[in-house]
Amino acid sequence: MNAALGTAAVTLALASAVLGVATLAIGLRRRDPRLLRGGQRYVWLVLAGAVLATGAMQVALVTNDFSLRYVAQNGSRATPLLYTVTGMWSALEGSILLWGLVLAGYLALMAHRFRDRSGDPLVAWATLAGLGVAVFFFALMAGPANPFRVVDGPVPLDGTGPNPLLQNHPLVAFHPPMLYLGYVGFTVPFAFAVAALATGRLGEGWLVETRRWTLFAWGFLTAGIVLGAWWSYEVLGWGGYWAWDPVENASLLPWLTATAYLHSVMAQERRGMLRVWNLSLLVATFSLTILGTFLTRSGVLESVHSFSESPIGPWILSFFGVVMAVSIGLIAWRGDRLRSPGAIDSPVSREGAFLANNVAFGAFAFVVLLGTVFPLLAEAVNGARLSVGAPYFDRMTMPLGLTLLFLMAVAPVLPWRKAAGSVLHARLAPSAWIATAVVVGCVLAGIRGLGVLLAFGLGAFAAATAVRQLGLSVRASRRGGAGLWRAVVGRTNGGMIVHLGVVVVAVAYAASSSFGESRQFRLAPGQSATLSGHTVTYLGTETVSHPHKTVAEARVQVNGGKVYAPGLSRFPFATQAIGTPSVRNGLREDVYLTLVAPPEGDSETAVIGVRVQPLVVWLWIGGAIMALGTALAAWPVGRRRREAEGERAGPARPAATAPGGDGTEPAAVRVPT
Amino acid sequence: MSRRAASWLVLAVVLAATLVVGATGDGSPPSDEERAMRISAQIRCPTCRSQSAADSDAPAADFVREEVLRRVRQGQSEAQIFDYFVGRYGETIRLEPSPTGIGALVWALPVVAVGAAVSGLTVAYRRRRPGGRSASAGDRALVEEAMRSE
Repeated sequence: MNAALGTAAVTLALASAVLGVATLAIGLRRRDPRLLRGGQRYVWLVLAGAVLATGAMQVALVTNDFSLRYVAQNGSRATPLLYTVTGMWSALEGSILLWGLVLAGYLALMAHRFRDRSGDPLVAWATLAGLGVAVFFFALMAGPANPFRVVDGPVPLDGTGPNPLLQNHPLVAFHPPMLYLGYVGFTVPFAFAVAALATGRLGEGWLVETRRWTLFAWGFLTAGIVLGAWWSYEVLGWGGYWAWDPVENASLLPWLTATAYLHSVMAQERRGMLRVWNLSLLVATFSLTILGTFLTRSGVLESVHSFSESPIGPWILSFFGVVMAVSIGLIAWRGDRLRSPGAIDSPVSREGAFLANNVAFGAFAFVVLLGTVFPLLAEAVNGARLSVGAPYFDRMTMPLGLTLLFLMAVAPVLPWRKAAGSVLHARLAPSAWIATAVVVGCVLAGIRGLGVLLAFGLGAFAAATAVRQLGLSVRASRRGGAGLWRAVVGRTNGGMIVHLGVVVVAVAYAASSSFGESRQFRLAPGQSATLSGHTVTYLGTETVSHPHKTVAEARVQVNGGKVYAPGLSRFPFATQAIGTPSVRNGLREDVYLTLVAPPEGDSETAVIGVRVQPLVVWLWIGGAIMALGTALAAWPVGRRRREAEGERAGPARPAATAPGGDGTEPAAVRVPT
Repeated sequence: MSRRAASWLVLAVVLAATLVVGATGDGSPPSDEERAMRISAQIRCPTCRSQSAADSDAPAADFVREEVLRRVRQGQSEAQIFDYFVGRYGETIRLEPSPTGIGALVWALPVVAVGAAVSGLTVAYRRRRPGGRSASAGDRALVEEAMRSE
């Protein structure tokens, strides 16, 4: 029943996507606005199919319908409801279904947002590209990654439940959906990039439309990455939150290129520059989400996150090839129209800083990509087996991260075109002295290490700049009679708040990765040990039975106060015990407790792992500040009115973005084409 | 020298002096435990996937840490210790590829790429003609119309 409904729903979505692509293609060919409008309506059928399929999967999971292979492998009668529901994204087939649902949702939002312009070829091309992507994902579900496959043989009485790591912490309900909202969201700007190239309407108009979609996707991806780090810290029990694991790298790669795009697009809006580059960044961002899916889902790379491996690798790789070929082909075909009218006058200018930003982000992405795939490349070239792990990424990305902190401190105060020395001095000197004072203070306080001191100093520099810009904005809006709200909302101010969040994350990362201390103690009940000024007392171990797991929980008192319970969980269908850390969070430092070995046999002693790491909490706080800043930046500030006007005036002045001369490009013009 | 330039010079000197002090550490050489921990952080825990021996609680990681510490106490160099583990577990045991053989590429390529990008930009800045084209009357009309309807 569920299998039939699910299969029918997937088929509906696939067929609608194919029909939509065909209708739009014919409509574009015949220049028939009626067909274009009709073609876009198929988006709603795709959404209906995706929602139905998701519903069928959820019903199957919740009602323990083990006739579905996916449910038999990822559900069980004992699994709590929360992890039954999240079971949908605990393995490959269900994750692809979630991908399809989110994609259909974005396409429907797109169709709704542009419903008044559905006869416009640009919107039609974008919908066509988006539906084309949907065809691929629903074809995966209909074929090699079918979530509704029926079990071979008799229906099992019970399932195995999700991977133990995925039923150990409620964050599993938030981290993957956030990540997918980010990942899949980049399809929309990609679709518009393809549309702009296909129609040849390469003015800045479509950028304005897609920039906010990119910003939304970027915000979700940021939140997803931070939540993933938090999950890793709370669940995996090794005391860290970022391991440069292939799956983490796969989520970081599109984040890096999207961040580069969000900056360099401003140079295009203001000065008409970097058009090819910006298109390439959008294409790269989308392609990297596909490549990341390939790397992590095909099992070519070893990863702690490869919760399932299946033969869809070649499919995804082929799709990646198609995306790259189409995009590069389109960019090459339209190359002549992409020549930028603007030129850079001086490297010491806002646009110069954006270029430097892009070089740094590009290099960052290159290092992460190279390090991730290098073991594969090396093995393919001469059979060499080697690993590229955290020490490599730390060493290579540190200078790039510090460069980006420096640019964050300097770029926001640089004027466009050219900066005079006196202006630079007036705008930078106070922040620079604050940064110097911070470095001197840190050294006096006994903090040693060049990298850490530079991170703290440059972080203070960047924070001082962001606060200065925010202060100026508040003062200006006060003078203009507007309230505080108007002073912090909007792209520029939201951006400065995101910068503050980045600084908080960077400082927390530098501190926690440089100054942690960890040790294991073998303790009998009542015994204590001390690490970095924290005393832990082992009180004993209890065994707690849950329907879906058995947990050995140690009782550990920290500093004579609260008792914490690090545990080791055993799941019926898993061979290895899963450690569950218990963390005493603090604004200054965390005490991270793990049960390494419970008492065995006659012995009453247990091995307790203790880690003391400074400022870890600030990683999550910084992530929250970044999310807040993104929301403020995306908030529509008096844009509704402007857009309404722009839409009316739009078709009347398509040439407004034609190449202008030196400095007279229509900088403030944002024409939706 | 202007007062402006002088103030930046003072700042640079203060900063450089502080960083030199801060970078040199507290003077004492690292203890055997500290050295062993640093080496263990570059060795993969043999039974894990991407965690280092320093980070993992697995028994195999415990063994690696103790073996490293024992060898550090014997006075072995970092290279000797790596050689021992590579001999025992293969090259994949090192989390950083050694900069010889094909592993050198993973270190060199990013440096080459950044070098190329920076020199490309430098050339672009140099080559740019000062002045550039001036706006035509048509351009100005477009701008004006656009500004009006904004």
